[in-house]
Amino acid sequence: MAGQVCIAIRDVYKRYKSAQEDSLSDVSLDIMQSDVFGLLGPNGAGKTTLISILCGIIPVSSGDVQFFNNGAPYSNDERKSRIGFVPQEYAFYQELTPRQNLDYFGAMYNLPKKKLEMRREHLLEVLGLEKAADRKVGTFSGGMKRRVNLAIGIIHEPDILFLDEPTVGVDVQSRNAIIRYLQQINQAGTTIVYTSHHMSEAEEFCKNIALIDHGRVIAAGGLQHLKSVHDAGSLQTLFINLTGEEYRD
Amino acid sequence: MFKLYASLRKELLLLINDKVGLALMFLMPLLLVFIITIIQDSAYKMVNENQIPLLVVNHDNGKEGNKLVELLTKSGLFKIDSQNAIPQESLKSELLSRGKMIALYIPATFSAGLESNAEDVSTILMEDLGLERDTTRHQKVSMPKLSFYNDPVLQENYSYSVMSVIQSYMSVIENSLMIDRMYANMDIAERSAKLKDKMISNRVGIDQIVARNNNSTAIPNSTQHNVPAWTIFAMFFMVVSLGSNIVKERINGSFLRLKTMPTTFMVVMFSKMAIYVIVAALQVALTFSMGVWILPKLGLPKLSVPDNLIATIAVIFISSMAAVSYALMIGAFAKTEQQANGFGAISIIIFGAIGGILVPTFVMPGFMQFFSNFSPLHWCLEGFYVLFLKGGSWQDLRTVFAFLGIFIVFCQLGTYFKLRLERII
Repeated sequence: MAGQVCIAIRDVYKRYKSAQEDSLSDVSLDIMQSDVFGLLGPNGAGKTTLISILCGIIPVSSGDVQFFNNGAPYSNDERKSRIGFVPQEYAFYQELTPRQNLDYFGAMYNLPKKKLEMRREHLLEVLGLEKAADRKVGTFSGGMKRRVNLAIGIIHEPDILFLDEPTVGVDVQSRNAIIRYLQQINQAGTTIVYTSHHMSEAEEFCKNIALIDHGRVIAAGGLQHLKSVHDAGSLQTLFINLTGEEYRD
Repeated sequence: MFKLYASLRKELLLLINDKVGLALMFLMPLLLVFIITIIQDSAYKMVNENQIPLLVVNHDNGKEGNKLVELLTKSGLFKIDSQNAIPQESLKSELLSRGKMIALYIPATFSAGLESNAEDVSTILMEDLGLERDTTRHQKVSMPKLSFYNDPVLQENYSYSVMSVIQSYMSVIENSLMIDRMYANMDIAERSAKLKDKMISNRVGIDQIVARNNNSTAIPNSTQHNVPAWTIFAMFFMVVSLGSNIVKERINGSFLRLKTMPTTFMVVMFSKMAIYVIVAALQVALTFSMGVWILPKLGLPKLSVPDNLIATIAVIFISSMAAVSYALMIGAFAKTEQQANGFGAISIIIFGAIGGILVPTFVMPGFMQFFSNFSPLHWCLEGFYVLFLKGGSWQDLRTVFAFLGIFIVFCQLGTYFKLRLERII
C-alpha cells in the first residue's frame, strides 16, 4: 500500500575494517512502499555500500535498518524471502543457460517447482530471452546478460527490489526493455530501490531520490520538489549543482 | 530437499560444461596410468622377474672360464650375451654402444691362475697331513682377476648385487677345483664327486618372507603402484575445476547474491563436496577398471583388488574428501582463476613428487622422506599401499586416517574462515 514506510534507515554509519573514513555517515532515509527510489551519487559516494547493507550482505557499523510490509515489520527470514537483489556484476553462471540459472536461483528462493517453471517461462518471454533460453549465458551480449541478471533478481516476485546500476553498459533497446518491465512491476506494487549514473534514465524512472556524496545524504525527497527547491531544470543539473564538477575517481 | 536437488544439479551442470576440467580429471589419469605403467613395468620386471642382461667376453685358455659362464647361465639370473671376439681394451665402448648395462671379462689366465691356487692350497694341506708329493712340476700362476664393467648410470648397490652373485659362483668353482686337486694328489680323484656335491648343495639357505598381514598375493609391480598413485594425483587435480569454480562464484558475486536469499551456504558447499566426491569415486572406478581389465590385455600386470572392500571404500572416501577440501581452500584463497589453476596445479605436482607419486618415497633421501609426511598425496597413497600391498587392516589405516583427517579439518577451517572474512558466509 503506497504511503506507508517500507524501509526505515536510521542513523546508519559504516566504516570498513582498516578504512580511515566512514563509507556512510549518519544516513537516515524513509523509503515508501511501491516507490521507485533512486540512490544517486558520484563514484565512491557510498551507494553500493548502502544497497549492500539494505540487502543484508554487509552489516552496519551503527544505526538501524527496518523493513515493513503494510506497517508490520518483516522478520529476518521474511525479509530475505521478500527482497530481490540485482547486483552490478553478472552474478550468475555464465556456463549455464538462462533456464538453468533461473531454475537454480528460483529454488534458492524456495519457489515450488510448478511456480518456478511458470515464472521462469514468463520472465524469459517478457525480457526477450525466450529464443536464447537454452544457450549458455557466456555467449550473450551485455544487454542480454543484464536481462538475465534482472530475471534472477525478480524470479520470486519480490515486494522490494534492489537494483545496483541495472542498465550499465547496455544498448538503448535493452535499457528500454529493462526500464519498461521495472515500471510494470512497480505499478503492480513492487518497491524499487535503484542506483544509476544515467541521470536522464533516473529522472524518467524515479519518484523519489536521495543524493549521496562522501557517504552522506546531501539531499532527499521527491524529484520534482528537489528540482524546484534547488532551481534545477533537470536531474543532471541538480546533481552537478549539489555534488560539484570535480572528478571522484 | 528441492534446494539441495537444485544445488546438486547446478554443480553437475557446471562440471559437465567444464570440458578442460573433465579431461584433466578423467582422461589424464587414464593416460598417466597407461603410459607410466608401461614405462615402469620394465624397471619393475628387472627387479622382480626379468633376467639381468650381461655381456660376457671369455678369453680364458682353459675350461674354468666356460664353466663360470655355464654356471651363470644355469642360474637363470642372467641373460648372457657372449662376445668372445671383443678385445678387453674396447669392452667399455662396446658395452655402451650395445646398450648393455653390465659386462664381465674373463682373462686368458683365468683357469691357469685358479688351478695354480688350488695346487698351492692342496700342497699346504698335504704337507700339514705329512703326505709327501712332488711339487717340482708345479708352475706358479698368479691369482686371476675378473673385470666387471658397468654403465655409470647403474646404481651402485645394483652393481654390487650382481658382483656378489658372480663372486658366489666363483666360490663354487674355486672350491670344486681345490677338492679335485687334493683328491688327485691323494690319488683318489674318482672319489671327489661326493664331497663336492655335499659342499655345493648343502649350503645355508635364506627363506624370503614378504611382510604382509594376511594372505594377500599382491606384489609390488608397476600396476599396483601406478593405478592408485595416478588416481590420487588426478583426484587432487580437481583443484583446477572446483577451485576455479569457487573463485568465479566469489568474484562474479554469485556467492554474495546467495547471501541475500533465504538459503544456507552449507547447501552450496555440501553440493560441491558431494558432486566432487562422486567424481573422485568415478575416477577410481575408471582407473581401477583399466588396471583390472585393460592393462592385462596389453601384457601388463593385472591390478589385484584388495579383499577388504569396506576399508577400500573408506580410503577412497577420505582421499577424495582430502582432494575436495584442498580444492575448496585453494578456491577460497585464490584471487583469480589463473591463481587457482596455476598454484593449484603446481602445488599438486610438488605434493605428488614429495608424496611418492612419481617415485616411491623409500628411494628418497632421509630429509625428503620426512617432508613427504606433509604431502596429503603421500597419506592417500599410503592408504592404498596398506590395502593393496600389505593386505591392510583397520589398524594399519589408523595413521592414514588420522593424518588425512587433520588435513581435511585444516582445509575446511581455512575455507570457512576465509569465506567468513569476505562476508560470504
